[in-house]
Amino acid sequence: MDLDWIARNLADGQDIVGLLGLHLVLALTPVVAALVISLPLGYAVSRTRAVAGPLLALFGVVYSVPSLALFVALPLVLGTRILDPLNIVVALTIYTVALLVRSVVDGFRGVPAQTRQAAQAMGMGPLRRVLTVELPLAMPVVFAGLRVVTVSNIALVSVGAVIGLGALGELFDLGLRQGFYTPIVVGIVLIVALALLFDGLILLVQRLCLPWSRGAAA
Amino acid sequence: MKKLAHLAVALATAGALTLSACGAGGDPLAEPSSSPSASGGGGGEEVVVGSANFTESQVLGELYAQALEAAGVPASTRPNIGSREVYLTALQDGSVSVVPEYTGNLLLYYDANSPASTPEEIEAALEEVLAEEQLVLGTPSSAADQDVYVVTGEYSQTHGITSLADLTKVDDEAVLGGPGELAERSYGPPGLAEIYGVEFAEFRPYDAPAVKIKDLNDGKIQVATFFTTEAAIGDNGYVALEDPEGMILPQNVAPLMASAVADNPAAVEALDAVSAALTTEDLTALNKSVDADRRNPDEVAAEWLAGKGLA
Amino acid sequence: MNVFSFLLDAENWAGPSGIWVRIGQHVFYSVASVLLAALVAIPLGVLIGHTRRGDAVVSGLSNAARAVPTLGLLVLVVTLMGSGYLPVVLALAVLAVPPVLVNTAAGFRGADPGAVHAGRALGMTGWQLVRQVELPLAVPLVVSGLRSASLQVVATATVAALAAAGGLGRFVVDGQNLGPGGYPQMFAGAVLVALLAVLVDLGLGGLGWALQRRTGRISREDRDHLATLQPGTA
Repeated sequence: MDLDWIARNLADGQDIVGLLGLHLVLALTPVVAALVISLPLGYAVSRTRAVAGPLLALFGVVYSVPSLALFVALPLVLGTRILDPLNIVVALTIYTVALLVRSVVDGFRGVPAQTRQAAQAMGMGPLRRVLTVELPLAMPVVFAGLRVVTVSNIALVSVGAVIGLGALGELFDLGLRQGFYTPIVVGIVLIVALALLFDGLILLVQRLCLPWSRGAAA
Repeated sequence: MKKLAHLAVALATAGALTLSACGAGGDPLAEPSSSPSASGGGGGEEVVVGSANFTESQVLGELYAQALEAAGVPASTRPNIGSREVYLTALQDGSVSVVPEYTGNLLLYYDANSPASTPEEIEAALEEVLAEEQLVLGTPSSAADQDVYVVTGEYSQTHGITSLADLTKVDDEAVLGGPGELAERSYGPPGLAEIYGVEFAEFRPYDAPAVKIKDLNDGKIQVATFFTTEAAIGDNGYVALEDPEGMILPQNVAPLMASAVADNPAAVEALDAVSAALTTEDLTALNKSVDADRRNPDEVAAEWLAGKGLA
Repeated sequence: MNVFSFLLDAENWAGPSGIWVRIGQHVFYSVASVLLAALVAIPLGVLIGHTRRGDAVVSGLSNAARAVPTLGLLVLVVTLMGSGYLPVVLALAVLAVPPVLVNTAAGFRGADPGAVHAGRALGMTGWQLVRQVELPLAVPLVVSGLRSASLQVVATATVAALAAAGGLGRFVVDGQNLGPGGYPQMFAGAVLVALLAVLVDLGLGGLGWALQRRTGRISREDRDHLATLQPGTA
């Protein structure tokens, strides 16, 4: 390990720090966007058994499209410029939605029918029932999915390095081109550390917001 | 400072995520601040200097950007974009407004059958084709960097190979390594076949020079393409193969600009000053500081500019 | 532009860098790395599931492994070892271990306690219990672990291209190098990988379904739930 190289690139908010910040933005924006999309979409799917199977299978196929292909193909679909970070954000949002919808569906399906009927019997309107009864009960499963996608997004952003936009993944490209393993190791360590940190943070939020879900699937 | 801005946005993201998680809502976040915002560059707008996916191009990109800044033209870099097809697309869609280029290969990109062969002919032919693309080439530097085919010293001795014409002795067994796009280039396999009658058993694409060097030394490939300014050729004792038929055109370094930049005299003057001061030896030394000494392109560029009194 | 033009040109299918060769390389990397991962993860999963110990280790380990960027790992191995098949297989195997390990451990732990007690009462040894009681019950889950591992590996094996090791990722990288004109080639790479993934999914899914019908142990909810916990492609 070339510690000197690390020191030079860390001092005064040098390259590594900048890449770290960019990495978080590229990885986490899609998580937030996908959560906003997946909750209503997943709820709708969970209420319509007929389309749920084919739709979830379709998401499975979406998930198997290589991210590299999606990163480079999106400009043709979106009309974005090829170097636009939006391409990476949109691609990761698509993956995240594909995975998260499944968790949301599972979460809502896990709400016992009796609970729903009880809420109805108490005179709750559909919107209030969904927001105050079903959603909180579905959230533990959603959180489990959220943790998985956050961790895998943080790892996936690095693939963008292949098209010159991989944030910390650019350290991989640098190391590969120069035959120099220090930046590669730094990149891997930082990405794993970030992923575990955010995994822990989401778990913490879950425990604070949903104290009843302690010990639920993780 | 821009890097710190990234970090601030990142922290804001983290905060927003934490806060919004409870309410299952949250704002769509501010767009990443790295997006190249210049819509053409030049004038009062920031000039974005792009570069290709190899060391020298990134160093040149830094030289241009820092020289522009020193001349009072706001500039930033967008390094490591990719092959010529990709960065020229970025230049044309306005994602970047200047890229470092090489005269001969740039001409071949637009006109694969151009009869031009001397630097002067190439320059004249380029002016013509670039006008159609709304692009302007700055004054070419005397600094040159050509593609070159090499073999290891040992292989050259054993098989008696010193020129591209000699490759017919080994081509049915030998494997050629080079960047992926070489497969389509007129100075790549197609040109070798047409001009020298050389057809390799296989072409293996490499995206990373370090891997190519290792494989050449390990005998996984026998012939590889490099740039004449790459330190690896001398360091590894490779034999650069002669090109008696002139298949590879002279390549002088020059900035390729969007018309908005070319219309800004301060920018053109700053870029031309870099071209005038740059030599082939400088290029080789700059590449070596990055590739062998692991220094960052922006640092070595700053030192060179300071040494020449350009920044 | 006809995005199918690359796929429809017969010339692109033949030769040492043709589509057939690239498919072969891609399949080889996928199969070899999943087998290697299975070789490591299944025995370990059996041990952890059977002894009902080391759960924390499994979830911690697979979480960390999931966070490891495959591209980074591959690039590291290639930088240290040079190009070739082995670096690719090693890097992809690391990706394939977590789903197989988690599912195997869950499968062997999840065996009906009643059945296990009954086996013990009949005087079965630990090894006999594993083979005759727990194994049949765990097989569908193990297969489902192999299935999600294979899916991820097939999608991720595209990065082999960066190690000068071919595979279908080559079309994506080369197509991208060609700029806008390379789109049909990139598209071909992406479509072929997606098709391969669907085939693998159907094949292993069918196998899992057949096994599940025979044992009838794993409820659909359990399996769906486990599936949501298997992460991503690269």
